[in-house]
Amino acid sequence: MSDPLLEAPTQTNPSHTLALSQKARPYLDSRPWYFTTLPYPLSLFLAPESQERWAASQNLFLASLIADDLPVAYAYLEDITERFGKLNERVMALQGLYQEASAKDTKALEDVVKNYDELLKTDPTLMAIRKRRVAVLKGVGRIADAVGDLVLMLDASPTDAEAWAELADCYVSQGAYEQAVWCLEEVLLVMPNAWNMHARLAEVQYIQSQKMSEGSGEQLKTLSESMRRFCRSIELCDDYLRGYYGLKITTARLLAILEKVKKPPTASSDLVAGDLAPPKVATVYKLNELATAKLAEIVRRSSAEEKGWDGYSGAELKAAKAMIEKDTQKIER
Amino acid sequence: MAGPVEQQIHRDPALFYWILLPITVVMILTGVLRHYLTVLLTSTPKRQPLEKLREQRHLAHIRLLIANSPQIPRASFEKRREWIAEQVKDGGFLAGGPESRGSAKPNPLSDPAMMEGMMGMMKGQVAMMVPQSLIMGWINAFFSGYVIMKLPFPLTPQFKQMLQAGVGTRDLDVRWVSSLSWYFLTLFGLQPVYNFILGSNNGANQMAQQMQMQQAGQQMPGVDDMDKIFQAELENVEVVEHWYVLDGVEERLLKRLGG
Repeated sequence: MSDPLLEAPTQTNPSHTLALSQKARPYLDSRPWYFTTLPYPLSLFLAPESQERWAASQNLFLASLIADDLPVAYAYLEDITERFGKLNERVMALQGLYQEASAKDTKALEDVVKNYDELLKTDPTLMAIRKRRVAVLKGVGRIADAVGDLVLMLDASPTDAEAWAELADCYVSQGAYEQAVWCLEEVLLVMPNAWNMHARLAEVQYIQSQKMSEGSGEQLKTLSESMRRFCRSIELCDDYLRGYYGLKITTARLLAILEKVKKPPTASSDLVAGDLAPPKVATVYKLNELATAKLAEIVRRSSAEEKGWDGYSGAELKAAKAMIEKDTQKIER
Repeated sequence: MAGPVEQQIHRDPALFYWILLPITVVMILTGVLRHYLTVLLTSTPKRQPLEKLREQRHLAHIRLLIANSPQIPRASFEKRREWIAEQVKDGGFLAGGPESRGSAKPNPLSDPAMMEGMMGMMKGQVAMMVPQSLIMGWINAFFSGYVIMKLPFPLTPQFKQMLQAGVGTRDLDVRWVSSLSWYFLTLFGLQPVYNFILGSNNGANQMAQQMQMQQAGQQMPGVDDMDKIFQAELENVEVVEHWYVLDGVEERLLKRLGG
């Protein structure tokens, strides 16, 4: 088990964040006096200098920001700033983060954005600041500006998977699914084995297929693509709850559509584009059964808190459970 | 019968305390000093300008596209391929814009950023060389000509030059080590000791440092013709035979999970 202090607080893990933020103040008080009293090079003689310490400091800073414990966060920020200097890119981003968190209203946030603008004017290569700027813009609802910023950033650095994923998110929120799919494909180019990104792409494709005209060849194509993506994500990560959930939904939809379409095109519809042929009904049916069985197994074992089956997110488990229950009701009727 | 007669030299035990020990201690201390000196002297690498960064990232992007093309459907792969071909033909990826292609390579010495990098390297070299020559002079001046220790194992005569530098006695057994040789032995052999004292990526051993510098010198950036590199990568993109990882994934999955 790794040190919990070294694990970054994330939005998907609120209990860990809470635990971290509660540790923040005692940890701050437990520092020996010489951490703060001596200037940087001298403090090295007394205090052990380790990467872990600063990683922990950053995590505790972030956690206390999330927990809205601004004074403690400020103390950590001062620590970090003293050690790494004001001009360090990461420190600048952390400072921006603090300013964002302490901003009371939208106007204060706009000031933060202006501050970022000025920093970027002096040095356009500060990617961390650029990302902060995008995050603020997205937060205040200026999606179009955020997209513009992201596009600029990605033109300069097209291998930045994080930025691509963020851009995809922006596009999804605006209903531009085709663009979002493109962005997620870029993410996969950088990280080919990220099963969660495969699943995310499949989700976007599923939403996209829902918007298409019922029973059209295009919808069939997108839906089968989505189903295959879910398959891939499961192939990469065993017992991936989100993957199975998506697989179940897509196969159910596919079965409904394949039934309706009298004569499903067996061969690849467009050879030049190199599309895959739609899957066979029997295969889809099997996959649906597999997904149902697996989901039931995951829900059962995880709620029984079996060893090795913990770590699923509670909300996802509940959703899976609800879907299984709905399914069984339908059969009973 | 006794074996071959072993050479006996009666050494003053003071030799051990006043020569062997001081040389070793001084060598370790210089290593530590050198480590901190390099830490102080290393200048943080300068940020690349945005244009240069863009050029390199796009190159990396093309390479990623080649390596991971199975992840995306053929249609979107073809679209990307076309776009890259267009950009490379227009020189859109180049740091200096399309106009800069074909222009003569800039002299690396005239670039101030490059000069700075070289200065950093020079500083490092000096930090290596000065203590090394100082200590060698010190040992030569005070301790040359002493035989200070005897190795506990026999060696072939080839080691004579290595172990008995500064002692001009032909018949001396190879096992005897002169002070100058002890200096060289510590110079090359103290790396584990530094690792123990300073942690594993220390800058104490000048040999490893010099090796690194030579490598860094070989791959100096900015000297290559980026346009040519992009053309070569474009060719690589064009010959990629696309296959799709989702092809038959459902059968694979069913087979594996026994569906």
